[in-house]
Amino acid sequence: MKEVRGLRATTQALGAIFWKSIKHYMRLPGSFALYIALPFLFTLLIFGMGRFVGGGSAPTYFAARTGTTNILVYEMLGSAVWMTSWVVVEDVGVSLRNEQVNGTLEQNFLAPIDRATLLVGMSLADIVITTAIFLVAVGATIAFTMPTDIVALTQAYLTLLIGLIPLFGISFLFAGIIIRFKEPYVFVQIVNVLFAVLTGTYYPVAFLPYWIRLISGLLPQTYVIEDMRQIILANQNMVSLYGNVFVLFALALAYPTIGYAIFKRIERKASVTGEFSKY
Amino acid sequence: MNSRNTSSVSRIGSEFKAAFLKDLRSYVRYPAWLLGEFISTPLWFFFFALGVTLFSPTGPNTSSMSGFNFFYFGFIFIILFSTAVWGIGQSVRNEQQAGTLEQFFLAPVNRVTLIVGRWARVFLTDILIVGYTTVIVYALGNEQPVLHNPALFFLSLGLYEVGLIGFGLFFAGLTMRIKSYNTLSNMVFFGYMILTGALFPISVIPVPFRYISMAIPFTYFIDLMRNAALSTSTILPESFEYLAATILAVSMLLIGFAAFNKIEEDARVRGTISAI
Repeated sequence: MKEVRGLRATTQALGAIFWKSIKHYMRLPGSFALYIALPFLFTLLIFGMGRFVGGGSAPTYFAARTGTTNILVYEMLGSAVWMTSWVVVEDVGVSLRNEQVNGTLEQNFLAPIDRATLLVGMSLADIVITTAIFLVAVGATIAFTMPTDIVALTQAYLTLLIGLIPLFGISFLFAGIIIRFKEPYVFVQIVNVLFAVLTGTYYPVAFLPYWIRLISGLLPQTYVIEDMRQIILANQNMVSLYGNVFVLFALALAYPTIGYAIFKRIERKASVTGEFSKY
Repeated sequence: MNSRNTSSVSRIGSEFKAAFLKDLRSYVRYPAWLLGEFISTPLWFFFFALGVTLFSPTGPNTSSMSGFNFFYFGFIFIILFSTAVWGIGQSVRNEQQAGTLEQFFLAPVNRVTLIVGRWARVFLTDILIVGYTTVIVYALGNEQPVLHNPALFFLSLGLYEVGLIGFGLFFAGLTMRIKSYNTLSNMVFFGYMILTGALFPISVIPVPFRYISMAIPFTYFIDLMRNAALSTSTILPESFEYLAATILAVSMLLIGFAAFNKIEEDARVRGTISAI
């Protein structure tokens, strides 16, 4: 089968997949509203529990452990990045499975475009969605609590964008695994909470045992959360955090390559065994 | 159509047993679900526990009631509440999506018995998950749950469960009306966690919002269970709170039952029972 090639054709295909994903979101505004609300709700929950445990001195104990008294921004940054990975895992990882269940996966795979275009197209819509989450969760929080630091938001957003690339790579890997093993929601349920625990969503990763920190170091969200907190709460910038930024770029190269390679391998095997149409 | 024979206790018992076994068989047919629940539930517990540790006193804890026990019971309340929202409520949605709801409703048995059968299965697996997580938490942190007054605790738990079944029935009815069920259930779930004192006492909630907490029946079930388990003080005078909780539990069951039947009747008239 001849595939569509060339910049213009690829751009058109990417645009079509992008709009399809955006239309899905617009059809379900409740899901989108939930993604926006969840960072606030989780933060509220952690804050309420913390107030109970620490009483009136809770902010002091918090500052002693994190170096900042700005609990809201600290927690919201973690929440927003966690929600970003939640969206990417659910969208890119599970969408192919949804196509499988709806019986449209074969049509998608028969379209004269390569798989990379298909996966990247789905990821593009997530950039818009995660940007919206970032602007509402982080942007609004900072605008209200530390309006003078609004400029730092741009650098924090850039860090998020770099971190999205390896995250997309991880989700390509998940997409392949889900096509192979089915049961996407169980998988997503475990992965989402695992990411929350490992990446320091509501606490510094230094709190975790050494061997768990090694795993945390393999996840891009760990660096994104840490860098965002440093940029917004400790007046650092991307230059001074070059070590973490470098690691993020390295992960941005490694994960999409590995994720896509594994996805292709599973896909090849599935096309031989007829796995695509099974659910 | 409800069967004329459903008034018989033995008939209801066999319907309940059949519904329970059907759901148990469906559940064990997908070991991934079981595995997912057994892995993710303790992870959620550790996730919250680590987050809260940042706010805890840096010195030794001299409190007679440890934060661990407070959150441990909160965690149980949340798991049980999820039974109502995702266990009972979602059951109708699952049958709807699988295209089996009409067959389910055409069976000459009481719908409510079928749904309560589902609740029993979810309750059983919840208890297993709670037990398993307790063992893990104890092994890792050497913290032991305490239960000062088991009799009162199980009485309060019974009231809570009666209320939950009523709430679950109401929610199961809603699935026939509202198609974005997942969004609604998530919002209700978070509302429960934040407002009812499951994870922190309602005294932490600022006053205008605390009135909302006090208007939610679950706040009192939780308060009584925690009072029985940890000897915490109650929101209302203890005996009055037990009376109020009993009235609330029975009312919730009756309202849930009536609401489910009404919504089902409406859906049958409009032909929307299977609309997904």
